[in-house]
Amino acid sequence: MKLTGPLERVLRVLLADPSASHYGYDLMKAAKLPSGTLYPMLARLQQEGLVDSEWEPQRQDAAGRPPRKYYRLTAEGARVARVELAQAPVPARRARQGTAQPAPGGTQ
Amino acid sequence: MSPAPRVQRICERLIRAACRRLPEDIRAERCREWAAELPAILDDQSIRPGLRRAVRALTYSAGIAWSTRQLSRAGGGARPVRTSQWRNGAIRVRPSDVAVRATVGVAIWLLLIFLLISLGSAFPHLPGWLLMLGLGLAAGFDALCLADIARAGQVRYLPKWAWALICLAQTPLGGIIYLSIGRVGRARPVPSGSGPPGSAQRP
Repeated sequence: MKLTGPLERVLRVLLADPSASHYGYDLMKAAKLPSGTLYPMLARLQQEGLVDSEWEPQRQDAAGRPPRKYYRLTAEGARVARVELAQAPVPARRARQGTAQPAPGGTQ
Repeated sequence: MSPAPRVQRICERLIRAACRRLPEDIRAERCREWAAELPAILDDQSIRPGLRRAVRALTYSAGIAWSTRQLSRAGGGARPVRTSQWRNGAIRVRPSDVAVRATVGVAIWLLLIFLLISLGSAFPHLPGWLLMLGLGLAAGFDALCLADIARAGQVRYLPKWAWALICLAQTPLGGIIYLSIGRVGRARPVPSGSGPPGSAQRP
């Protein structure tokens, strides 16, 4: 896996809380990425088994909003992400602005 | 008052169109996933005013179109559904045919210009009815070309929307060029030996 700038930002967002689920627009905003970059990347991560996705259950109170798909790091994904980010050079400026910096090797 | 429902419909249509590129087994699910994000964007109160939300939703949909292109390429196994047939050699025409058609098209155009000039000298003060007639003819010709583009299964060299734009922008000339070059019409297929190498072996 080649750690590109956008990928690094997505991993940082996901790793900020590895158990949290994000839907696509949420990730786009947090990682400051356009949809055309994010979705192919998520598809690739999912293919490699690093990210998992699931549909939110249909809620009655959601005023007709269609159910969303949520993405989450797998255990393997969290491990790989920590290793990759630990090896990453100086964190990109924009990533530091966007999200809290997860400690490499994290305390979970 | 709010443009949101209309924008949402437009975006959903864009996403559906983009999803047609995807292999069938993931198409419906992807389409549902991406359409479900639209309300979140259009209701995002952190983006103000509403117009910016609409723009955001549209760029989001454009990004989806880009994503499906990437995904359908990365998918490997499944071919994208919309391949244009003439690129694969099915209805290619010989280059000489294109030259003949283009020449005929330009000749028609020159004839038209000549006709207009002679009409102009015949009526130094252009009467209103003639002007109306000319405009009507131009509009009719445009409509004819656009209808032809819309009906055609496929067109050559350029995407359909580009031909439509050309027809509208350059009223007599654009339409003539379309009809002479871009229209598939009665083009005879090139026998399958003489296509570009590899075109026949496509699975």
